[in-house]
Amino acid sequence: MWKGAGGLSARGLAEAQDDLGLARGGGAGFEHTRLSANLLPDDLESAFALYAKVLLEPHLEGDDLEPLLELSRQDLLSLEDSPPDKLFAELRERFYSSGHRDPVQGTLKSLETLTPETVRTMRTRHTPQGATLALAGTFDWTEVQRLARKYFGGWTGEEVDLEPVVLEPRFEGHLEQDSHQTHLALQYAGVHPRSSNWYAFILAINVLSGNSSSRLFAEVREKRGLAYSVSASSELMGPLGFLSAYAGTTPERAEETLSVLRAEIETLHRGVSADELERSRISLLSSLIQSGESARARCSSLGRDYGWYGRTRTLEEVETALRGVKLEQVNTFLEGHPFENPSILTLGKSAVSRGVAVMR
Amino acid sequence: MTLETISETAFDFVTLENGLTVIGEAQPQARSVALGYFVRTGARDEGPPEGGLSHFLEHMAFKGDARVDALELNRRFDALGASVNAFTGEEVTAYHAATLPEHAPELLELLTGLLRPALRLDDFELEKAVILEEIEMYDDMPESRLFDLLRPQFYGGHPLGNSVLGSRSSVAALTPEAMLEYHTRRYSPNNLVLAFVGKYDWEALLEQVRALTAGWSPQTVGRSYPDFVPRSSVTLHPDPNLSRALLGMMFPGFKATDPRRLASSVLAEILGGENGRLHWALLDTGLADEASFSHQDGDGLGHFEGFLSCDFERAAQCLEIYDGVLEQITREGVGEAEVRRAKNKLAVSTALRDDTPYPRLFALGLEYLYTAQRVSTEDIVRQVRAVTLEKVNTLLELKPFSIRALTALGQIKALEVHSNVKD
Repeated sequence: MWKGAGGLSARGLAEAQDDLGLARGGGAGFEHTRLSANLLPDDLESAFALYAKVLLEPHLEGDDLEPLLELSRQDLLSLEDSPPDKLFAELRERFYSSGHRDPVQGTLKSLETLTPETVRTMRTRHTPQGATLALAGTFDWTEVQRLARKYFGGWTGEEVDLEPVVLEPRFEGHLEQDSHQTHLALQYAGVHPRSSNWYAFILAINVLSGNSSSRLFAEVREKRGLAYSVSASSELMGPLGFLSAYAGTTPERAEETLSVLRAEIETLHRGVSADELERSRISLLSSLIQSGESARARCSSLGRDYGWYGRTRTLEEVETALRGVKLEQVNTFLEGHPFENPSILTLGKSAVSRGVAVMR
Repeated sequence: MTLETISETAFDFVTLENGLTVIGEAQPQARSVALGYFVRTGARDEGPPEGGLSHFLEHMAFKGDARVDALELNRRFDALGASVNAFTGEEVTAYHAATLPEHAPELLELLTGLLRPALRLDDFELEKAVILEEIEMYDDMPESRLFDLLRPQFYGGHPLGNSVLGSRSSVAALTPEAMLEYHTRRYSPNNLVLAFVGKYDWEALLEQVRALTAGWSPQTVGRSYPDFVPRSSVTLHPDPNLSRALLGMMFPGFKATDPRRLASSVLAEILGGENGRLHWALLDTGLADEASFSHQDGDGLGHFEGFLSCDFERAAQCLEIYDGVLEQITREGVGEAEVRRAKNKLAVSTALRDDTPYPRLFALGLEYLYTAQRVSTEDIVRQVRAVTLEKVNTLLELKPFSIRALTALGQIKALEVHSNVKD
């Protein structure tokens, strides 16, 4: 789309962008494509005009495709040189049986069959039904509505279907690669934002990872010195949520690291302490308030909320929800939703013995 | 809002009796406060047997002081909802955090405690293992390896060529005694800047800082500035395990106090920006997947830095194009329109990035550490705007790209081609 649109060449678009000093963001993801801009408020109309060209009038010329296919191919090759990225790409490939298994760039095979025609067909999925325009920062709402109507009012098209997410059965595997560290990835079933357990889930993940006193950092790094990098986070795909964990360590310590990592995640079903929950809560509240200071962060949240809930949440609503979660709620959730039977993929010089979860 | 309507900043500023400089920038609209200690020390201040010591010390700071151990310290930071972290570079070590304004006093106390760590032996040995893992982790990142090779190659024996992480053997040989000696030598209050940005009570914090640092006494802190004569060089590092060719380049640049540094940033944007000449020559054509260019202004010295990633079969071709872009800009100079656009891009991105406390903290603290100037966001915007076509072209007349250190990493076949590259 940025290779030429609305009568402007790629260079013309880039120059229009630089004339505004506008910082461009976004890109294609597994389920959405996002176009974002960070700009000065006085340039809002120029930005609408520029983005309307790119979104509604891309040229999609055949000649432009070849260099982009080259870039995608090279991007995929770069994965080979980045063990953690390669590990998670390979994990997705084994985890999903639906189209979510492929990297966003495609596969070396799929790139071979891409034509200008398939790209143009893909673009018919860009319709206003299911598209969200989010703004945060300094603006006049009446003016924004006028601009939205002026530039996007004539945009038409039906809502398109999303491919359902389908999972493969649980698996364990190892990828042999001559890397310095052995890289470990775990994926457990988790919770989606639309679940009533969402806040309990993210508070529990924060007990596990994200802070200095979180269990993974304390047990894997601080007490045992097993890894520099260890983490767990929530992952979403379609209507599903997951708990995803990673650690990188030297081959001779991989088994112990995997074992401690699993033990910490899998003993969560026994619950968290009141102190842990309070630290987790204040950390999330503090991040929430700091993200509210940044127009860019706020804008992403608005768009994401709309996708999840069909509405947006105010900072106050999220704050109230986080403050309202009781210890019993979190522990009841964890007891009823034990993290167990993860899919496991490791990458390194040699296979890692499966760390059977060791109970503390 | 336009760039002209950004309000002028009034700074809070004091240098305490013990030599500690405290600088504050109040942001009335902020709902948080960011604070950080910036220490004028890093890899360049390490002697030969001290490789990796600055970075190791930064890790040890989080192991607690005489009163609290690491786990308790971590719990206390987390109880404040503080995002806390640190980094070590060649010239600066920084300890920084952000939280809600009501927790600022407790956070200040904890952060100040980091600067007087206990350096316990068992913590030291445990953390050494973590750092050795960190070194292994970076060894799995080819771009990081590339610049670890390039930096000493460009800076030769100058201490700016020192590695921040150190090597496995240098880190393994470090001792708590050496660390204590280094700490005493470098963490003197007159070698530190404490910065606050956001919503804070200046008088109350200042009183607290005075009390917390009352026992700190200043001493003479030096830094060596040996002569540096840049030379061209080419080194090839074959690695059959890599699927890409990576090329890194360094060229002489300008120090942080040199007025030409802004023109250097504009030049780097014209070359390496999203709409830069390298983008159109190498990325828009699909020849390479990365082609970047930047300018780093340091203490006493600076350099331009280039990076290229491509298929190994194409490495020679891509490098020739990259060189061609640098040769052409040197020969023909830059144009009015590209200077205007690059300036606008830099000015707006600075203004938009620095309007919340945490990102602004680094700009404020580092600028003061390097230039002893209190520079506001609007000052930076003005300085960028003051760059002219003539200033950029005057830079180019010095032919900064005629001296180049080049390192290539990747499959051997491509690298053999590179050995023909002129030195």
